[in-house]
Amino acid sequence: MKLKGMFKKTCYEPQKSTSGHGTANQKPEVPDGLLKKCNICKAAIFSEEVKNGHYICPKCHGYFRMDAYRRIEMIVDAGSFEEWDKGIASGNPLHYKGYEEKLDTLREKTGLDEAVITGEAKICGSRAVIGVCDGRFLMASMGRVVGEKITRAVERAVEKRLPVILFACSGGARMQEGIVSLMQMVKTSAALKRHSEAGLLFISVLTDPTTGGVTASFAMLGDVILAEPNALIGFAGPRVIEQTIGQKLPKGFQRSEFLLEHGFLDAIVGREEEREVLSGLLKLHEPSERQGCEKDEAERAAYSVKEIDAWERVQISRQKDRPVGRDYIDGLFTDFVELHGDRYYKDDTAVIGGIAKFHGRPVTVIAQAKGRDVKENVKRNFGMPSPEGYRKALRLMKQAEKFNRPVFCFVDTPGAFCGLEAEERGQGEAIARNLFEMSDLKVPVLSVVIGEGGSGGALAMAVADEVWMLENAVYSILSPEGFAAILWKDSKRAREAAGIMKLTSGDLKKLGIIEKIIPEPEVLTINNFKELTRELEYRMDEFLDRYESVDKETLTARRYERFRAM
Amino acid sequence: MVKKVLVANRGEIAVRIIRACREMGIQTVAVYSEADKEALHTQLADEAVCIGPAPASESYLSMERIISATMITGADAVHPGFGFLSENYRFAQLCETCGIVFIGPRAEVMQKMGQKAEARRTMIQAGVPVIPGSQEVYDAKEASVRADEIGYPVIIKAALGGGGKGMRVAFEREEFESCFLTAQKEARASFGDDTMYLEHFVEHPRHIEFQILADTYGNVVHLGERDCSIQRNHQKMIEESPSVAISGELRSHMGEAAVKAAKAVGYTGAGTIEFLLENDGSFYFMEMNTRIQVEHPVTEWVTGLDLIKEQIRIASGLELPYGQQDIRLKGHAIECRINAENPKQKFRPCPGTITDLYLPGGQGIRIDAAIYSGYTVPPYYDPMIAKLIVHADTREEAVAKLRSALGETIIEGIDTNIDYLYEITGNERYRQGNFDIGFIEMLGQEEDSV
Repeated sequence: MKLKGMFKKTCYEPQKSTSGHGTANQKPEVPDGLLKKCNICKAAIFSEEVKNGHYICPKCHGYFRMDAYRRIEMIVDAGSFEEWDKGIASGNPLHYKGYEEKLDTLREKTGLDEAVITGEAKICGSRAVIGVCDGRFLMASMGRVVGEKITRAVERAVEKRLPVILFACSGGARMQEGIVSLMQMVKTSAALKRHSEAGLLFISVLTDPTTGGVTASFAMLGDVILAEPNALIGFAGPRVIEQTIGQKLPKGFQRSEFLLEHGFLDAIVGREEEREVLSGLLKLHEPSERQGCEKDEAERAAYSVKEIDAWERVQISRQKDRPVGRDYIDGLFTDFVELHGDRYYKDDTAVIGGIAKFHGRPVTVIAQAKGRDVKENVKRNFGMPSPEGYRKALRLMKQAEKFNRPVFCFVDTPGAFCGLEAEERGQGEAIARNLFEMSDLKVPVLSVVIGEGGSGGALAMAVADEVWMLENAVYSILSPEGFAAILWKDSKRAREAAGIMKLTSGDLKKLGIIEKIIPEPEVLTINNFKELTRELEYRMDEFLDRYESVDKETLTARRYERFRAM
Repeated sequence: MVKKVLVANRGEIAVRIIRACREMGIQTVAVYSEADKEALHTQLADEAVCIGPAPASESYLSMERIISATMITGADAVHPGFGFLSENYRFAQLCETCGIVFIGPRAEVMQKMGQKAEARRTMIQAGVPVIPGSQEVYDAKEASVRADEIGYPVIIKAALGGGGKGMRVAFEREEFESCFLTAQKEARASFGDDTMYLEHFVEHPRHIEFQILADTYGNVVHLGERDCSIQRNHQKMIEESPSVAISGELRSHMGEAAVKAAKAVGYTGAGTIEFLLENDGSFYFMEMNTRIQVEHPVTEWVTGLDLIKEQIRIASGLELPYGQQDIRLKGHAIECRINAENPKQKFRPCPGTITDLYLPGGQGIRIDAAIYSGYTVPPYYDPMIAKLIVHADTREEAVAKLRSALGETIIEGIDTNIDYLYEITGNERYRQGNFDIGFIEMLGQEEDSV
């Protein structure tokens, strides 16, 4: 049965005026400003909800642009912000007609004096210099005042020995100020170089949109670069690119996610977590002492090294349920913050790296990462790093050097990725560069081979003050299969090859290639992993005892001698 | 008086509200989701506005869309029905902000009664009995003293509890200490916390609720009770008024408490105070429902009032034209809920097209439904499709009428719980009115053991 049009409708008769109150006589209406429209999903949403929800659309989770003061309010401890350099005049270097009037109008309209606000504040108690661009002011383009305010803020940060956090958002250079605007790129970058040389932390947070001369200067110079989701980040604007190359750009091009994949961001951080993430990073860069770990001698050395055939050890080192790099990070460290990207081309998922705490002491941790299952293995390229992986590792090691953090490397790879793209991007150069730089890294470095130590791919993360191996890990010039194939033209003689290659922990200890063997339980899995990590933790603590007090020259000289003697 | 009401709901309650408005000469606006284009409420209203796709979160729960629909159609009032936005104080607040009459209590009252702890505090202050309970306790000796104050049986609960872990009932003092220690040990093991609470354990309670009406002039009346003890997994199935467990004296006693509760929060409109009633006649406030309820027709039948019309009149600012002494309960009314679900398959919802439909009628029989022959029950919403309500002079006659009517209700094409309801109403204990909130569970256990 279809009901459409079947029912008689209400015949409305105005009733005699009844006494009573409470009914609004005026027509209902939505007060101004109660609702607003989301630019992304077009839905009507409550302004109040947007305001209270970090300026994120409650419907599509798209981000509204935020003005600078609101952002400061969102990030810093209430009442802790002290503004600097308010009211610097910009002038009109090109005598561009109407520019000054335009600035006046904008000042009145936005209540801002220019497109950036700088000052000092506390974030969860940690002091930092903070600068925030405001897109309402000529799309936060960088004219002389913006450059000047940022430069002064960075300079004062050097004087006060404070970290800097800059929230970028900009259309780029300010056209009305011409070449003077261009010079601000150098001015800000040069100030940041001095800040960096002083060993201080700079965190850059990219918001939508960060383009042009800002991307090509301070925004991309962070020790850590974060971005909000789906922010447009690029040097040339997408429209300009499309016009130049005469092609439509793919979806997601120049968005945060694209940049993360291409190695230019350390992480994408949602607005809800920004304050927490920033505070965490600041805390990881504040001086903090290692609390010695309490060693229960009764629990130590629970296992003894077993007599096993070399080939069997090769098999064990490749076992599917053997704990992987990430398990060591989770099991040995706290407060781990993963940092991504090589800053050149890609973020290699076969290498996981970041900052963490070891007994309260900030350290840099880098692990070659196999997957825990097939799916993750595919994602992580079965633990075979590309050049980008080694470059990411090196970037993080140089960062560790700057902030005087010891470096822990966990080696577990069948070998460096062998493929067309890897060669195109210089696999050999990447490995060589790591050997070169690591040999002189001015912080303690420990490498632990936890599974397969496959040739140069492993070596590029094992130029350390000490190299340790798990009992059943192997470390060799290449796989026994490869060895047999090259020397005897028969890869089936792998077992025999394994026997003579001297690839087990015992053999390598005897050869003086490694310092320590960490005994394993009968079958090492994630279930009995804890006992192993406890032992490893004790020994790592002792490692730091041995090396942290050594001065930089002695440290690097000894490391030089370690390899020189081989 | 309001002139045009937007009904922010669907199903039988939307139809029920539209009917009341039609009778009062008030124009109606239905809102509907894309899945409800052919729904009865959509077709019956004077105007209908589509407010979004099928999922309720994007239609019937979307405040901004409902407000927009109100503006577009020029409605001056919104009736929220039950479920969806009916107890959302922010929605009521929003209506107030936009100058729309929200047919229900004021937002602040809804907010207050929506928070369990706040509601409990308010009731204690107003002198309405609540289930006696303790502050947190850690020590068995101290807890035992509290248990004496509270009165046995006592339920011991972990502060962070859930899923029955860290929970024990002590029926007498002798077993209290061992119960407490076991519960606390469990709590420590399961939640890593040994903070405990004690509460009086209400054994075999009935769910008794009182309907109240309050106008904006401070007049409050109660319209007697409803016994809603026949429930499955906290879902009511059969409700009746009056309750066999309530004497005239107890009724006025509980009714007074209900009125006191309503006055304490400055309530306006139709509301329901839910109590747990213990065997010995003690009763405890559970919560207040700040909206019209599914089972309101049983009260309508014994009082002769139209609660939806009363709601509209009160919201329009009219004074209640009667006092408590004018309210008389006449006869006995029973309602049962007809759901599109299959009791044989764990009450799995059964949406689909109704191919044939025959509904009973006759004296003392009322059907509030949203179905018709050829109607397709959508899978997105509550499975309740109709309510059968009967009225007779005595409970015995009412039960007979209910069974007779259930026996001639035919809904083809989808599974329903009609046979299940027929079975329950044939149960001897049900017929005698001898049941508590554990009744359905007990029936299930009996069946399992057979």
